[in-house]
Amino acid sequence: MTTLHGEIPGAHGSHGGHDHHDGSYLDRKGGMVSTIIDWATTIDHKKIGVMYLVAVLTMFFIGGIAAMLIRYELFQPVRIQTVGEMAGKATGTDLATLFGQKDMSVAQADNIYNRVMTLHGAVMVFMFIVPGIPASLGNFLLPLMLGAKDVAFPRLNLASWYVYVFGSIFGILAIVMGGVDTGWTFYTPYSSSHADPGHWRVVFMILAAFILGFSSIFTGLNFIVTVHKLRAPGLGWFDLPLFVWAMYSTSIIQVLATPVIGITLLLLVFERLFHVGIFDPALGGDPVLFQHFFWFYSHPVVYVMILPGMGIISECIAVHSRKQIFGYKAIAFSSLSIAAISFLVWGHHLFTSEGELAATIFSALTFLVAIPTAVKVFNWIGTLYKGSIQINTPMLYTLFFLFTFSIGGLTGLPLGALATDLHLHDSYFVVAHFHYVMMGGTVIAFLAGIHHWWPKMFGRMYNERWSMFACVLVFIGFNTTFFTQFFLGTRGMPRRYASYPDEFQTLHQISSIGAAILLIGFLVHLAVLVGSLFAGKKAPANPWGGLTFEWEADSPPTTHNFHHEPIAKHGPYAFDDVVPPHCDPKDYPLADPLPPGAKAH
Amino acid sequence: MNPITTTLADGFWHWLWFGSPAKSSSAVARIGDELFMYTFWLSVAWFVFLMGLTFYFVVKYQRRPGKKLTRSPAHNTPLEIAWTVVPTVFLVYIFFKGFWGYADAIVAPANAEVINLKAQKWAWRMTYPNGAESPESMRFVYTDAQGNQVTSAQEAPIFVVPAGKPVQLRMSSMDVIHSFWVPDFRSKFDIFPNRYTSYWFQADEPGDHVVYCAEYCGDLHSEMYAIIRVLPEPEYRAKINSWAIPWGDGLAAVGKVLYTTKGCSACHSVDGSRNTGPTWKGIWGKEHEMEGGGKAVVDPNYIRESILVPGAKIVKGYPNQMVSYQGQLNDRELDALIAYIESLGDNPPGPGAGYGESAESN
Repeated sequence: MTTLHGEIPGAHGSHGGHDHHDGSYLDRKGGMVSTIIDWATTIDHKKIGVMYLVAVLTMFFIGGIAAMLIRYELFQPVRIQTVGEMAGKATGTDLATLFGQKDMSVAQADNIYNRVMTLHGAVMVFMFIVPGIPASLGNFLLPLMLGAKDVAFPRLNLASWYVYVFGSIFGILAIVMGGVDTGWTFYTPYSSSHADPGHWRVVFMILAAFILGFSSIFTGLNFIVTVHKLRAPGLGWFDLPLFVWAMYSTSIIQVLATPVIGITLLLLVFERLFHVGIFDPALGGDPVLFQHFFWFYSHPVVYVMILPGMGIISECIAVHSRKQIFGYKAIAFSSLSIAAISFLVWGHHLFTSEGELAATIFSALTFLVAIPTAVKVFNWIGTLYKGSIQINTPMLYTLFFLFTFSIGGLTGLPLGALATDLHLHDSYFVVAHFHYVMMGGTVIAFLAGIHHWWPKMFGRMYNERWSMFACVLVFIGFNTTFFTQFFLGTRGMPRRYASYPDEFQTLHQISSIGAAILLIGFLVHLAVLVGSLFAGKKAPANPWGGLTFEWEADSPPTTHNFHHEPIAKHGPYAFDDVVPPHCDPKDYPLADPLPPGAKAH
Repeated sequence: MNPITTTLADGFWHWLWFGSPAKSSSAVARIGDELFMYTFWLSVAWFVFLMGLTFYFVVKYQRRPGKKLTRSPAHNTPLEIAWTVVPTVFLVYIFFKGFWGYADAIVAPANAEVINLKAQKWAWRMTYPNGAESPESMRFVYTDAQGNQVTSAQEAPIFVVPAGKPVQLRMSSMDVIHSFWVPDFRSKFDIFPNRYTSYWFQADEPGDHVVYCAEYCGDLHSEMYAIIRVLPEPEYRAKINSWAIPWGDGLAAVGKVLYTTKGCSACHSVDGSRNTGPTWKGIWGKEHEMEGGGKAVVDPNYIRESILVPGAKIVKGYPNQMVSYQGQLNDRELDALIAYIESLGDNPPGPGAGYGESAESN
């Protein structure tokens, strides 16, 4: 649908001046109090998306502080300095000293570290990375990308946000009451019978994860129905943006897997409070049963964490290289097949605890899931071929993702292979591997997505030069922090250690310095983005020349998203033949027209 | 192995990943290392190829103002089949290599020396075939940046094993899940409170290897070390024989051995000095004040109860800290410990001394 003036008939938004009758969703209605009430009771998916964005980034900040404390403590090991004949003084208990505690015993100092380590894991997994992209960017963009006014169940959507906040409060409560030292995996019988016996805080942390699960299920259900029922006229399944495919696959996993962890956590609470023997052998239970239940949820959820990131990367790489995604169907189906296979590989978390037959089968299935993941990477790189590539912050992050996610994927191979996993399991190699996948994958993709859609969400452009500088800092900081941890792992450093033998100190120090650089990078990003809200240039409706529906809406979109119901007339990535909406054709030269009779790809 | 693979899998590259090249010290470990280095170089090749291609595309296809788009295929079935099948072939190979190495690492040879291993928060204990347990331990000592002598927080028990002979550990836990990891042997396995698991290795050269607990188990998880000391077989035999429990020498002598091997010495002194628990010197037959009022005489029933149900009576001024040894000591061993404490008394009471109330017998 090419028009000479680059304007969609009927869809004249902010491009031609403010002639529309309903204002931006960000417009304030009345004073401070009524604005707060307006947001707190909104059923607009965009506002809920923004509220989620604020909430999950707050949790990322809390989890990040814990991460910095971990790196601070590990800068030097905890030891006993000999003072006199028998008496000793603990040294290297930096974390304890930070909290104003002098002359702690080693056990007390380790105890503080164990709580910070658990806090980092639990907050990052349950409160940040699982809900992160789907609840914030997904909520904001899914209806826009489908050409819909809202999600299928707007009130359920608001409920999910409140459930999320309610669940997070339980988590914060557990931390305020003194913290939990079970690790985010809550392995039994430690969590059920040994950790802080008789105290409520472990129960609160478990309930937090339990409640947060409902928020995931609400969002997942909503998205599945929305994709099925609210697609704009003409928008077939294979015209969907790949971000929507990723959200769809993610939602299926959320809805199917979350009830399992819900029940498991509830059983754990029963065992702790009422001594019902399920997982603790002292009460007649089996601790490995918990690990099977736990990973039956938590492995599929690894893909809840990464699939949305992959969706963002697909969008960014197509738009910023103005290229049809290479192998669209392969990417869409690989999302679905990853979602399906993800349910069959949980046993690879138990290679050092389960029987030989199970280990062998799970190892084979694990290699199976590597294939669709590899195919996606090849497709993204294939998309760059003969593209028109523009380097800006979202694209820089996309390339950054290809780099770190490839390392994350490749280092999964020796963990999936049985002989090498016996050594690497529960070592820093695993820590480095999943940070390369979760942080180098999901968080980096999240940052790409935030910068890609920021102009759309808030109607402001950020300072490109400063945010690219911050991206480079994050790249250097991230790799310095986590690449060293691969070597720590193969050389024998176990995970979840507050202390370590001397030989590991140099690598730990390099890693801690990297974490400091990473922190600076994030702070620069925060400053640039917040600054853009006050001093940023007004964003055009379509700053990057995207072809999916969200770019037809204003920046920021009006309350009802579109002035007229959009109609799909071309594929989501038909850059060769279509001038992007709201764009000047001079800035977006198309390909030569196809000779008559030739078939478009 | 041909020279190229040797260069890429040994020397510098092996040091980079695993520390000293001499450290892969069991036959099974070498299989794992070979697979790791193979996967490493395969990954390096893929990664360099993919990132090189990305970099080349990004430089070559930079956006230029006014430049028309170039059409290119949106998919290419032969190419897509190729890049699905080729990695699959490599993955199948890695899977099978991993499986074979695992089979070797998991299944112990029939002629292995079987040693029992117990894990608990936060200590390891090995029981040798002759019933002996190790009384030896050490701390890691370092000199810090200021020149102070610092040591590891926890004492690591020293376990001896024979060189050049397969050793199988029959492992179980007394409380939560632990995991037995010797990085030098490139293998670990979890230890559960409700079943036995197995771990085997064969170290050919004498030397020391560090054991870590690899499954998070609470406060002192980070200090749960042990040392595996590989000795030539005759020395190993002599050592465990010297540690054997001297039943022929009388109960008190046995009690003296149990005092170190069962961990009593960590909290109770025998020279009168104060520690976590009361000293054993000179307490026999004396009356002590208890927490919460009341008094108790140190007699056989009191000692038995204190070992099996430590929380029942707590000596005034001491914390309720001790774990129960229920099921850990048999009746003969309890008798031996009682005899040992009696031998440490100032004036051992004669036969027929008051035995007080009978403690719950189990």
